[in-house]
Amino acid sequence: MSEPTQKYRDKNVVNILIKKINTLAEKSSETIRIMHVCGTHEHDLVKAGLRSLLPKNIDLIAGPGCPVCVCSAQDIDEVLWIADNHNVTITTFGDMMRVPSSTESLYQAQGRGVAVKIVYGISDAIKMAEKNPDEEIVFFSVGFETTSCVTAAEVARTNLPNFSVYSSHKVVPPAMELLLQRDDLEFDGFLAPGHVSTIIGAKPYEFIPEKYNFPVSIAGFEPVDILLGIYAVLEQIVEGTARVDNMYKRYVKYEGNPAASRIVDDAFVVSDARWRGLGVWPETGHEISDKYAHIDAKKKYNIPNLPTEDLRGGCICDEILIGKSKPQKCELFNKSCRPDHPIGACMVSHEGTCNVAATYEEIIWEE
Amino acid sequence: MCLAIPGLVCELINEKRVMVDITGVRREADTSLLEESLDVGDYVLVHTGFIISKLDPKQAKEDLKLWDEILSNQ
Ligand code: SF4
Ligand code: SF4
Repeated sequence: MSEPTQKYRDKNVVNILIKKINTLAEKSSETIRIMHVCGTHEHDLVKAGLRSLLPKNIDLIAGPGCPVCVCSAQDIDEVLWIADNHNVTITTFGDMMRVPSSTESLYQAQGRGVAVKIVYGISDAIKMAEKNPDEEIVFFSVGFETTSCVTAAEVARTNLPNFSVYSSHKVVPPAMELLLQRDDLEFDGFLAPGHVSTIIGAKPYEFIPEKYNFPVSIAGFEPVDILLGIYAVLEQIVEGTARVDNMYKRYVKYEGNPAASRIVDDAFVVSDARWRGLGVWPETGHEISDKYAHIDAKKKYNIPNLPTEDLRGGCICDEILIGKSKPQKCELFNKSCRPDHPIGACMVSHEGTCNVAATYEEIIWEE
Repeated sequence: MCLAIPGLVCELINEKRVMVDITGVRREADTSLLEESLDVGDYVLVHTGFIISKLDPKQAKEDLKLWDEILSNQ
């Protein structure tokens, strides 16, 4: 197919962009740290080997960009509590299966007989509930704005007595603000996530340059897209300016996708959310709104307060998730914690920072 | 799971559904999240069975112009 995709992988364009980035970077004698907050950026840029092509003084750091990795143990504990105390089938994305709760993963729970089924998305879980009216189905829903709108669309049009949704959804821009406010983190610019931005647009990032005088660029996912994003944010950093550069305009409009945003605002309310190892972050979550309380698993089942533990056996996922430490600093990395045997959440999904570092064995994390 | 994949609309099924060609595999996709109308030949981003964005062809052309600019003033 003649998708424009090919053009965004053009080696020649990649090489020229790298040269231009080099020229820009030479203007600074210091290390420039750019944080992305998207698991797909991490995966795609490592797969394309982009880190090794970038100048030595550019450090691309991975922020809390994977909704699977940032899912707190308590959310999984609660879903497992529902399964153990009510006769329900848990449905969720395959990525969620091996993420540790305080005690076990959904995969391990499945091994002891808990009904857990992997689905491609919420729509399949609903079909399952339609086909099996006697079976109680709970969809364990995680994701940022890209996924929230899909969940929202289904929540708004589904009314099945045997179907409910447990929301672990999160929102990105307020989380970026919390990262900016931390004094234990040092970085110079944000690479904003392209897919999230197709929904929310460029506008919700504008407070970042306005309030914090901090550079942002929105980037897509092909090698050229990522490099254009880096180029744009680097240019701002070197020039000492701050704005939101949209480098993914072919899919991201300034106002985003208004229809999808309306559906999200109808089905969800912004709430506080638990991030793995990082505690509760105010106004970074999406709970199902009262209008659709009948489909909210948290309201349907009376979940008690459960003891919870996010980080087990020396895992430092809390530091990995905010780009404060690199996987190699963890004593378990590639020893007891491996892609085939994950101990922490960041080793589970194929876009988790520890998983990517272990899989591609790239020395991308020089101190 | 938060991956969104580019595809090509190859058939209109009904008001809420279209067929999308994703690197040679045909898949049905839901259009409820989209305000714009779709036509055969449109490029779209698909996320877990829903179309979340339609490629703006004018913008894609302008992208190319922008590159030319960046690439020419080396
Ligand atoms: S690993 Fe899955 S959940 Fe995490 S960022 Fe990638 S697609 Fe999203
Ligand atoms: S290597 Fe494993 S245990 Fe260590 S931080 Fe990463 S996920 Fe956690």
